[in-house]
Amino acid sequence: MIEGCFKILHSVSLSPGLALLDGRKLFSSPGSANFLSDLYHHLRAEYPKFFKMDVLCKTGFLAAEILLEAEKAERFVMRNDRAVLLCNASSSITTDRKFIEGIANIDDFYPQPSLFVYTLPNIVTGEIAIRNKFSGETSLYVIEKRDDGILSSLIERAFTDDETLSAVAGWVDASSDSEYEAELFLINKHL
Amino acid sequence: MELIEELKLKVIEALNLEDMKPEDIDPDAPLFGDEGLGLDSIDVLELIVLMERNYGIRISDSKTGKEIFASLRTMADFVSKNRTK
Amino acid sequence: MMEVVKVSDNIISPLGFSVEENYEAVMSGKSALRLYEGLWGLPFPFVASMLDDSLLDDEFRKCADVSRLPYGNFTRFEKAALLSAIKALESASVDTESARALFILSTTKGNVELLGGGSPSLARVRLASTASMISRYFRNPNQPIVVSNACISGLCAQIEAMRCIRSGHYDCCVVTGADVLSPFIVSGFNCLKALSDEPCRPFSANRKGLNLGEAAATVVYSASGSDSRQWRIASGAVRNDANHISGPSRTGDGSFAALDYAVRHSGCLPSDLAFLNVHGTATPYNDEMESVAIGRAGLEDVPVNALKGYFGHTLGAAGVLEVLLSMHSVEQGVILPTRGFDTLGVSVNLNVSDQPVETCKKSFAKLLSGFGGCNAAAVFTKSGKS
Repeated sequence: MIEGCFKILHSVSLSPGLALLDGRKLFSSPGSANFLSDLYHHLRAEYPKFFKMDVLCKTGFLAAEILLEAEKAERFVMRNDRAVLLCNASSSITTDRKFIEGIANIDDFYPQPSLFVYTLPNIVTGEIAIRNKFSGETSLYVIEKRDDGILSSLIERAFTDDETLSAVAGWVDASSDSEYEAELFLINKHL
Repeated sequence: MELIEELKLKVIEALNLEDMKPEDIDPDAPLFGDEGLGLDSIDVLELIVLMERNYGIRISDSKTGKEIFASLRTMADFVSKNRTK
Repeated sequence: MMEVVKVSDNIISPLGFSVEENYEAVMSGKSALRLYEGLWGLPFPFVASMLDDSLLDDEFRKCADVSRLPYGNFTRFEKAALLSAIKALESASVDTESARALFILSTTKGNVELLGGGSPSLARVRLASTASMISRYFRNPNQPIVVSNACISGLCAQIEAMRCIRSGHYDCCVVTGADVLSPFIVSGFNCLKALSDEPCRPFSANRKGLNLGEAAATVVYSASGSDSRQWRIASGAVRNDANHISGPSRTGDGSFAALDYAVRHSGCLPSDLAFLNVHGTATPYNDEMESVAIGRAGLEDVPVNALKGYFGHTLGAAGVLEVLLSMHSVEQGVILPTRGFDTLGVSVNLNVSDQPVETCKKSFAKLLSGFGGCNAAAVFTKSGKS
């Protein structure tokens, strides 16, 4: 659990087959091969760009959707005081593997532009910022293994930016198309 | 006509338009901008790869690409005139 | 307020293995950009700035303490990053073994080339594994942090260091930025049609795109009292355009917001700034966007320079390398020229430096932007007042 000089408003946990909001089951689809798409349809997000995203972005995007719906505030209003601060261990490895397949054979050499963009792990922070019109800070940190102490400190330090009053922050990791997890928090700075 | 149907499937696959069916795409609707499919600059690059890989057509800059990819019909016209495979 | 001062630095690039060597090379007009044809079997030529393998290897063997190395066979990325940290720390009196010191690595793709091969070890593809290799070499007890915010990573890592020290979480941060080139990165930028087949021409009317470059650079920041005459990182911010994952905002929203915040919080007036060292990748959209952001921030009278014409775009190293050269040039009283610049080709009438110009000012601002819509800006100062 993260803790520090900030207030957690909501938390979301997402893993294959299960999405929890504030510790309670929001949606489950055990054994589904398309859990992320199932959850997308369940949330009625109406955002076709979702299908272009890689697994890391889909995971982060959906977790953020759940959090921000739970806030019950008007959505998609431009705000510069909300940061997106995410942390993981696997960077963008799932898409890295796919992109490298397209360049492995010189006789069938077709690097894919849409894949290459997703070989940057911070794209997930950008996807959430774009969807929600958050023009504050976006940052992606990679650490060896999940450590809530480090995560808490990163969030506390991001709040030293005096225009940052709120954040979607937490852990989002995808080591393959079927192995992904997110635990995101909607956080307000203690004033 | 057949080429348009073939292109619909290839475009849906290449651009991950998972929520669209071939019959949802109007061959004359603009592919880019806020109407029609609402494709963006990365999609143009992806379509350039599609053209080279499937039809052996090289398009060197994305500005000419925008004219070729105005609609599925302009794309099909261009393919039928320039395809090398 | 606690000041965050630079206590040591290093640059490893094709133009030299210290900040001084790199500065001298730039001042004499050298560029590391070369045309590569058929390299790695890639089916297209490209212009890039690449480290010489044997020079890097010799220097690494000379400087690295074998007894502290966890394995024998190092990748180019690992060698460049560790060598830079070693060289920066050999002259610094900081206690890296203390829990009050933190290692921060800035990189975009690290050892990604290992995904293609298999050896030495796939586990070393993980970005944090290189960060840990470096921090363990210096016997640091903390889990290091990797900042991977695309092309702005190097500046973000320094902003994080500033926050670490100001918040009292740490007394010292060792920030290393590094990236090397591989078929992965080069073919990626090539398929985005972002590469120029000639040396890049930042802010010029005829600019065609960017060149990639390899480098590692390290800056060590430490806590200090307010009477310091050392380089201080005065302020910094990261802002998103909230517009598109791969195209910069045409209105320069994020870049403007970051720059505006950094200048307002720096204690400097625009007239105190010797120059703005900008991203200047020489892609049509980036340079135009930066000019709009600078204009919106009311800084169009401040001289602008960009260093990609010497080193290419060094990705995760860029923010560190370009800040260190800017600091050194201010110490020499010089605004570095923008190599490759000829006729201004952006909509705001920027004062792009194309010759070495004298300056007596002691502060500058640094600007970067990257994929994911992210932008970062920071102000660095060596003036006595704070």
